[in-house]
Amino acid sequence: MSRFLARICFLAAEPRLIVELERMAASSQGRSINPMSIALGSRSLAKAVLKIGGTLGIFVWCLFPFVWLIDTSLKINDLALNSPNLFEGPIGLNNYLSVVQQGFIYNLRNSFVVAGTTTALCIGIGSLGAYAVARLRLRRKAFLLSGVLALSLFPPVALVPPLYEVWRSADLLNTYQGMIVPYVAFTLPITIFILTNFFAALPVELEEQALVDGASHLKAFYRIIVPLAAPGLASAAILVFVYAWNEFLLASTFAPRDLDVQTVPVAIASFTGSVQYQRPIGTITAACVIVTIPMILLVLLFQRWIVAGLTAGGVKG
Amino acid sequence: MHLTQRAHGSNGGSRGRPHGWTLSEASLARLFLAPSVSVLALVALFPVLYAGSLSLYLYDGRDREGFTGIANYAHAFSDERFWQAVLATFTFTGSSVTLELFIGLGFALLMAQAFRGQGPTRAVILVPWIIPTVIAAQMWYFMFNIQPGFINHSIPLVPRDFNWLGQKGWTMAALIVADVWKTAPFMALLLLAGLQVIPQELYESARTDGASAWRRFLHITLPILRPTILVALLFRTVDALRVYDLPKVMTNGTFGTETLSMLVERYVIQTVNPGIASALAVMTFATVLGVSLIFVSFLSKNLLLGSRA
Repeated sequence: MSRFLARICFLAAEPRLIVELERMAASSQGRSINPMSIALGSRSLAKAVLKIGGTLGIFVWCLFPFVWLIDTSLKINDLALNSPNLFEGPIGLNNYLSVVQQGFIYNLRNSFVVAGTTTALCIGIGSLGAYAVARLRLRRKAFLLSGVLALSLFPPVALVPPLYEVWRSADLLNTYQGMIVPYVAFTLPITIFILTNFFAALPVELEEQALVDGASHLKAFYRIIVPLAAPGLASAAILVFVYAWNEFLLASTFAPRDLDVQTVPVAIASFTGSVQYQRPIGTITAACVIVTIPMILLVLLFQRWIVAGLTAGGVKG
Repeated sequence: MHLTQRAHGSNGGSRGRPHGWTLSEASLARLFLAPSVSVLALVALFPVLYAGSLSLYLYDGRDREGFTGIANYAHAFSDERFWQAVLATFTFTGSSVTLELFIGLGFALLMAQAFRGQGPTRAVILVPWIIPTVIAAQMWYFMFNIQPGFINHSIPLVPRDFNWLGQKGWTMAALIVADVWKTAPFMALLLLAGLQVIPQELYESARTDGASAWRRFLHITLPILRPTILVALLFRTVDALRVYDLPKVMTNGTFGTETLSMLVERYVIQTVNPGIASALAVMTFATVLGVSLIFVSFLSKNLLLGSRA
């Protein structure tokens, strides 16, 4: 985190501006016969200022609500609700204590179990399917892939009434499976799509060699394709995990209250305070911070893979 | 491709080998695909058909009273609440997707200017996207709320006691602000990927020809970016049409912010009626499908399927 903050500061600091200006000056000198070059110089100064100002703007846009969030979560007792001033104390960890006392640790466990199982199942099933689409002889591949893509546009709410009826009679309400099964179904399309793209981009030669040497397709898949496609698998796994971790509609419908199965988003949406009809701001903001900080770390660590996964679905598609 | 076949052909032919697959490649492919296809069929396709059938029955609470044809649909169409939800859903979708496109494009253009802040900027831009919508909703609820009144105190000219979340129109505006905050960066990321494949030489030669920045944007960037914009718009529009988490947690559908997804859920849990819930679900499904088809018709088939498929 501190390294990250240092990078932000570095970005904002003057040396960056100077380097940028020098770079621009150098590039405009390359075309120095241009009579416009003097005007260009002041223009590239304005451009550099705009660029750095804009980048700072992006940082503020993305991060300022979290400054407010962390600040509010630290204010004790009534202060969180009554003081809009970011710098007014006293502060303390009371809100975090009350989050723990309300059993939030169980919500975290439930979310880990549900999201982890969903990810494992989805990658296991999806990678086989994607391998078949990318590498094996199969008719109507285009049809299959566009069908898969169409499914990813599916509104989850369309499943709620019928699945609720089925789950109710199958006793799957308030269970982990009741959430995991639809989550796998919802994340399979994007998984297959991302992995098909990754598998298809791998060189065929290694695999062919293995097949010539007598390995089966299954063995070639596990021994050669899977290790080579590890970054693709990681991309897909992170996206699936984040989806299952954040999902609220099905979780709040199928497992609304029971602390044995209730996931993090449902808990955060349903914290109740001492006063009826008033949301307990301290507890909620503290719980939000507990969830947000690891997720920000996740982004910092796996930025490349996440972007690769997202843009495979959005752009290459 | 035919190399693979030949290699496999020789493998499949030697049945005597202990580790050789005797399955043909096509049946192996079907075997590999079977788990995916069956999960999707059972949990995605079957329920939609089942919803279609449920929607044709009359219910009193959980008890099925009998076949009723399209009465549940007729009930929805004559219900003011349904039209209000349609209006809210489309207002929300139209406004937030439009704003996201412009702000996201601005962010993307800024980030595409090659300089070294790109790594951290790309990480930061993922933060609003990755946090659960429920958290964003709670955060913005408290920031807009009169108590503690962060927004009223931070923005000049806003009265201290302005009740964003307590009057029609402004409640929807607050909802849109929260959504744009969360998804404009995501839009920027998708558009940035599209910007990065534009060859720099095009800009260089346009610049030597004396084309202004605006003309370069209009005649180089926009035409090349068009397919990316369309795909991003498709995904974002479909996502916004099925919005549930944000209005549910931030406003709970008060002051004209109840969306179609919320209405469906209401008939599943609160006013229990599987028939009406299913009819509404089918209509939501049809709406999303219709809007997607409009977008898809804009996109060439090649683009959607990718050349490798």
